[in-house]
Amino acid sequence: MTREFDYAQGFWNPYVAGIALGLVLLLTFYLMGAGLGASGAIARSAAVIAHGVAPQAVENNGYFSEFYKTGAKFPLVNWIVLEVVGVFLGGVVAVLTARRFRPGIGKGPNASTGLRLTLAFLGGIVGGIGTRLAMGCTSGQALSGGATLVVGSWVFMMAVFATAFAAAYFVRREWS
Amino acid sequence: MVMTGPLYMQGVFGFQASLLVALVVGILFGFILERAGFGDARNLTNIFYFRDMRVLRVMFSAMATTAVGIVVLKWLGLFDYSMLLDYSLLQTYLWPQLVGGVLFGLGFVIGGYCPGTAVVGVASGKLDSAVFLGGMITGIWVFAAGFPLWGSFYKSSDLGRITLPQVLGVPMELVTAAVVVMALAAFWLAGLGEKWAPYEKLEK
Repeated sequence: MTREFDYAQGFWNPYVAGIALGLVLLLTFYLMGAGLGASGAIARSAAVIAHGVAPQAVENNGYFSEFYKTGAKFPLVNWIVLEVVGVFLGGVVAVLTARRFRPGIGKGPNASTGLRLTLAFLGGIVGGIGTRLAMGCTSGQALSGGATLVVGSWVFMMAVFATAFAAAYFVRREWS
Repeated sequence: MVMTGPLYMQGVFGFQASLLVALVVGILFGFILERAGFGDARNLTNIFYFRDMRVLRVMFSAMATTAVGIVVLKWLGLFDYSMLLDYSLLQTYLWPQLVGGVLFGLGFVIGGYCPGTAVVGVASGKLDSAVFLGGMITGIWVFAAGFPLWGSFYKSSDLGRITLPQVLGVPMELVTAAVVVMALAAFWLAGLGEKWAPYEKLEK
């Protein structure tokens, strides 16, 4: 019976995971004075890829130009980028030591692969725009900003979860 | 003798060492995200169907731990919180962050991931997380391409480095205590939500 729900088994108690995560975030604040993040690294990657195709357009772009100021380092030589490289490596170590490398697609049992991948891409687009407008994501805004009691971070977090709970009904076929 | 943080901002170590710190805390972060189950979109979206509220439990306990930790370090004289207020706290742009939050929430439940968890999803071999990241990069290109249209909104309602204690006019210790109480209430409600399960239930 439980076979179908293998994906939910074998993880840490969520409170243990949460406290561990909180201690790592605290350590990050103690060392750096700023918290963890993720979307900043994706934005820098997006800028670098676009720069490879159309350097002039990227350097003149109102948004991307902040990554290409004169005299600035290559956009990927950056704290948040290295941190996200670490996230990937840490993920790999965790997956391998738990023998949990299971190639596949996470979707509801009745959802088709085509539906899931289409919505993953569309959700990525909408979420990606959201991270730029909000200047952060679940890690940088909600978690790090939330823990330091930043007003905008709490507004962001409430908006994220209120919207996602409200919209869940409309994509239930993807997850059921 | 333990030094008072934040160390980097006090000049205790330089830029290159900071990149090493980034890599190390990133590894710890990614390891814990995977161990929390966040490498699979189903474990991340089940919260929105009240099947499994682990996202709420992990996030709220992490946030409360850090918030309490900062207060304790400050009391012990090991953390100069005023530096955060002056220099490094995230700045609030109220309306863009509200609208960005709505879009991000849609992206989360439709796409199944957030950026950090998608990276762990790729490490776990999940194709949908790679597709999600491809979507994110595309979305960021859309944002950059349309920047002339929404660039002024992006920098609007700038409230600076403003915290809940400042807005409420109470000490940060009190707000931190309130966050802990909120977290405990949320944990209790999460349990009720899983029993309620308005959609189909997850058999464990």
